[in-house]
Amino acid sequence: MIDFELGDELALIRETALGFANDQLRPRDREFEKARAVAAEVHEAFRAIGLGAIEVPEEQGGAGLGALARVLVFEELAAADAGAALALDSLGPALYPLLELAGGDALDALARPVLERTGARGVLVWDGAGRVRRERGRVSAEIPWVPTDRVDLLVILDPTGAVCVSEGIARSELRGAGLRAAGASALRLEDAPVRAAWEGAAGARRALARARLYAAALLVGVMRAASDFSREYALNREAFGRPIAHHQALAFLIADMATAVESTRLLVQEAAWRIDGGEEAAEPCATAFLEAAEQAMFVTPNALQILGGHGFMQDYPVEKFMREARTLGLLFGGTDAAREEAGRELDTTPGPAAVGGAGA
Amino acid sequence: MDFAPDAATRKRVEQLSQLGRAQIRPLGLEADRLGRPTPPDHPFFDLLIQLGQGRTRWSEESEAKSRDASRSRGGSSLVTLCLAEELSYWDRGVAVSFPGPGLAEPSILSMGTPDQKRRFLGPFVEPDRPRWGSFAMTEPGAGSDVAGIEASARKDGRHWVLNGAKSFAANASRADWIVVFATVDRSLGREGHRAFVVERGAPGLGNFAIERKMGLKAYESTSFTLEDCRLPGENLLGGEEHYARRAGFRGAMKSFNATRPMVAAMAVGIGRAAFDEARVFAREHGRLADARVRDRLERIRRRLRAARLLCWRAAWLADRAQPNILEASMAKAVAPEVALEAACLGMEILGEVGARGDHLIEKLFRDVKAMDIVEGTGQIQRIIMARRLVKLPSERG
Repeated sequence: MIDFELGDELALIRETALGFANDQLRPRDREFEKARAVAAEVHEAFRAIGLGAIEVPEEQGGAGLGALARVLVFEELAAADAGAALALDSLGPALYPLLELAGGDALDALARPVLERTGARGVLVWDGAGRVRRERGRVSAEIPWVPTDRVDLLVILDPTGAVCVSEGIARSELRGAGLRAAGASALRLEDAPVRAAWEGAAGARRALARARLYAAALLVGVMRAASDFSREYALNREAFGRPIAHHQALAFLIADMATAVESTRLLVQEAAWRIDGGEEAAEPCATAFLEAAEQAMFVTPNALQILGGHGFMQDYPVEKFMREARTLGLLFGGTDAAREEAGRELDTTPGPAAVGGAGA
Repeated sequence: MDFAPDAATRKRVEQLSQLGRAQIRPLGLEADRLGRPTPPDHPFFDLLIQLGQGRTRWSEESEAKSRDASRSRGGSSLVTLCLAEELSYWDRGVAVSFPGPGLAEPSILSMGTPDQKRRFLGPFVEPDRPRWGSFAMTEPGAGSDVAGIEASARKDGRHWVLNGAKSFAANASRADWIVVFATVDRSLGREGHRAFVVERGAPGLGNFAIERKMGLKAYESTSFTLEDCRLPGENLLGGEEHYARRAGFRGAMKSFNATRPMVAAMAVGIGRAAFDEARVFAREHGRLADARVRDRLERIRRRLRAARLLCWRAAWLADRAQPNILEASMAKAVAPEVALEAACLGMEILGEVGARGDHLIEKLFRDVKAMDIVEGTGQIQRIIMARRLVKLPSERG
């Protein structure tokens, strides 16, 4: 039966992530942004609490947890610093093609070295529009932005499968619009050798779904932080004789922002629950990502608005939240590709009740 | 975590769905066409009684199990909510016309003495025929601001004398009794409110007038008046001790609410109906290949799904007697807006067909607007949320 209880294990995991985020990430967000990296001791602390490789199977040295654990933990981390969350998660969503298409040996050979080297980064690039050229075991592509300053393992996912590249990648540093704690680079591949390649449309679809869910969880964290921060500010800032939160125009906006966070979180958690239940979940994950990206662009600019001029200044984190929300929504083909995926299902599934739930 | 109703609930939803397709939707369309509520002697209501509908949640056994019976029952409001959504999917107007104690039941359960529960809800345990209860708070001059009600209650020996006018009370003219809220002293605000059970035929109860509505025509929204309506003392819900006791809790806000998520779920049901119809129409007319149409349908499906999750979560909290005021208002604020958007989009997809006035979506478009008004408007919900989120002060002390 419908149940929103996390259970002891997941509640503890979330609690741990929350504590880590509050102690290690939140106070240093601007420092990491400036350094384009998370401090080494923070990497170590993250490893120490055992959340370093949440969804990596235990045989490969991971925590062997599911998508629900992932979204809970990453909401907490992103609520403190979404860029740091990416920087800390060395494999990132590049894990998913390996999990869904490759299997244990490839995880050992390709994922393990990235997981074991502090600061190493795996990068996932989605190629939905055929921008990557593949010829005789070599790959060429121009990738305008990836949120990292180093690439130890590049996984390029497309609708038919994935290829893995680790050499022949020319990287140029970018300023980056957001998520700078994770870095920002443009990549140029010119006949880079393919290290491994896997075929499989179903696995590719599932890998993409999980990558979208990953970004959606980060978006929920960012918008929650923005909503909470601006609400607190609105209670302390006075104008026209009372806290600005008590002017109905803002009170209603604050209520709508909190609602957006809550409803998006539920959509994300439901999609994660479907993944963990073994469902294909391409549509629910695309839907969750889309909703998260849209609602984040409702919540974060309004959070800045509530702070007024202060919001525009970098003394407060809300301008960062807004940049991060916008940037996260550009990952993996962005919202239009997700819309395409979610909308396709409207046409292919017969009969009514596509909303799902009890009436489905 | 679990995001699926259990098999037993799914089965009940499926049964409702069959009844919905065969009876409820056609009845709703008929009432809409004829512009009148389904008459109380309609055979559909007898069928419902045969099917086990029109009952009360109260029973002698539940009474015996004392006050925490409602706590230990567990899961009931979530199940009811799933059923309410499905009923409204087929026709929300017909759903409200269902026999039973209706909206008045929670008041009697929460305030009534054991004798009152037995007396007023007892006939609904195994009803011999379709019976209705009714609930009357709203007045011509007092809607969302319930503290502003003017209907007066005056003590006269062992009796009470009621005067005033009530409006928009569902099923009032066919009801065995109506729970009526009146005030003993307007200057006391809600503190001065008393709830009475006014039985059919009570002296001074009359002038029933069925309102003409934009939609939801299958049930009667009725106004009536109380003119020196004399009631025995036993008809004061909870007895005088109840109000003396309650005065001690002045200002204490209730910590959970089960009706707002329910009404929100009904809105989801209407929205889902509009969405399904619009999608079928779009497909039949080759419009789903158009990304402009598909994208907008996708958005509606997504927003409906999110609204339903908010409803589920609020009801789940209520079932566990955990605070859910914020969550209940979130659901109630979101669902009617999304449902209206669904019906609006449906009309747009129909195009000129929508303007003819004979398509189901056009009816849903008229029906759905009420959902953002009943059980607290969207604006009231935002005030309630803001009280929790930023301690928004009340306009009145």
